[in-house]
Amino acid sequence: MNTKKYAIPLIFVILALFPPFFLSQYWLHVMIISLFYAMMASSWNLIAGYTGQISFAHAAFSGVGAYASGMLAVNLGVAPWLGVLIGTGVAAFLGIGLGYLCIRMGGIYLSLTTLGFSEILRIVITNEDKWTRGTMGLQVPGFFTVYSKTSYYYLFLGVTVLFLILIHRIIHSEMGLTFRAVLNDELAASSSGINTIRVRVLAFTLSSAMAGLAGGLYGHYLMLITPDIPSLGQMFLVLAMAVIGGMGSFAGPVIGAFALEILSEYIRIYGEYHVLLFGLIALAMARFAPEGVMGILHKGWRSKLIDVRG
Amino acid sequence: MSTPMLIEGKGLTKSFGGLAAVRGVDFHLSEGQIVGLIGPNGAGKTTLFNLVSGVFHSDTGILLYKGMNITRLKPFEICRLGVARTFQIVRPFLKMSCLENTLVGIIGRNNKNGGREERREEAQKLLKFIGLGKSGQTLASHLTLIEKKRLEMARALATRPKLLLLDEVLAGLNPSEIIQALELIEVIRTQLKVTIFWIEHVMGAIMKASDRIIVLDQGEKIKEGIPEEVVSDPRVIDAYLGESDA
Repeated sequence: MNTKKYAIPLIFVILALFPPFFLSQYWLHVMIISLFYAMMASSWNLIAGYTGQISFAHAAFSGVGAYASGMLAVNLGVAPWLGVLIGTGVAAFLGIGLGYLCIRMGGIYLSLTTLGFSEILRIVITNEDKWTRGTMGLQVPGFFTVYSKTSYYYLFLGVTVLFLILIHRIIHSEMGLTFRAVLNDELAASSSGINTIRVRVLAFTLSSAMAGLAGGLYGHYLMLITPDIPSLGQMFLVLAMAVIGGMGSFAGPVIGAFALEILSEYIRIYGEYHVLLFGLIALAMARFAPEGVMGILHKGWRSKLIDVRG
Repeated sequence: MSTPMLIEGKGLTKSFGGLAAVRGVDFHLSEGQIVGLIGPNGAGKTTLFNLVSGVFHSDTGILLYKGMNITRLKPFEICRLGVARTFQIVRPFLKMSCLENTLVGIIGRNNKNGGREERREEAQKLLKFIGLGKSGQTLASHLTLIEKKRLEMARALATRPKLLLLDEVLAGLNPSEIIQALELIEVIRTQLKVTIFWIEHVMGAIMKASDRIIVLDQGEKIKEGIPEEVVSDPRVIDAYLGESDA
């Protein structure tokens, strides 16, 4: 039972070790970016898919992580490894703050407040010159003394796998059960002794911290941190990945991240129109397969393997 | 009153936009009792339950649980003190299995005791007790209405309540199912030592099961007493027949 359960993820991880041996530098870059989006979409799924809180501040929190680490590196010479961890902490801290402020509102108000937070952060970063260098961006050092895409690929792969293990454990823990209870029916959860506000702030904080970590890694990989990282364009891309892959499913956001990132490389020649195409795909999915790619796969499996579960 | 008071409400009032759904209601339950709450539609019965379980907070009046003021507590705090409920329109966690539904009630407790496995066992035992022993892995959305009601009861019992608020658990049940449900409720009262506050429209059943009946009409308590007294009271009959003595 246990070996079977771990076999498929293990095969994927082993297969994921090979790309640097045969991919060009360009496609290796695409893989690294895909891994970043996989982290972003999966951690966003933790709040949106499992506790039903549609936050638009996820990209903003990745920006918090990136800028916190970047500014520490540039101004104080803090090593990126340490900076990224501090950035994660700062994102978590802001996550608690924003969480407590707006989670009581719930629903659409939470979305609007996080949207506002996201835009305020982006505008401040864009207009600030001394610390964030505005639209010019912050030039930061990388993680490795010798630049190599292969090293970054394995770093991103390692952290993504850690993220996924952590998310898997959270979902299948009793804490994850309370997340799902709150998503299913907040009043019933509250009447069953669940402190729903605490559950939602906890999910929000965990998810924000993960975005902060992903953003920090991303910034030190690009070695240039710009206001594009905490932008709403980035946010909606992450959202589209989670929705198309399948919100509330474990593998969905990862599939969505790779599918959209790779697709966007092929349609890059059409310029801004690729955003339009993503929108159309997301709309079509919302209409015909609201549970995303994972929903479609699940239906296929269920009809074939109806007796195997349990 | 020789038995100690478990819960007591004094002068509870709750208005929604100028309309008093509950007005100056006093009530009390002693440990081990079954008290029925009846009244025509819109009388304020469910609103009173929402006040007791902390979903709403009363505008005026005071709510005491074991002598402690719980008027302003949140639903999860009241639940952890020992007041659990079911809902008139059932609200199980639809996308979760029956076992998971029941586990939520256990996890919500202050005193979870034991490890994860023990909690799963406890949830399974509760499901068996309630008659859903074979449905542990079934999604709540796949259950029939009756089974959903049972599941809500299991989830409520998982919180180890001292007081259980039942909101029309018999509605939609056929006569033989009503008899089963009454037996179950009696077992909950005697074996699990749970006090029961019970809204019901199935008159025969509630009259038979209750020690005392409280009648609400248009937000006010119009009668309280043993079932025999209540059914013969002209004001109660008026309220149900929709006549007015004005």
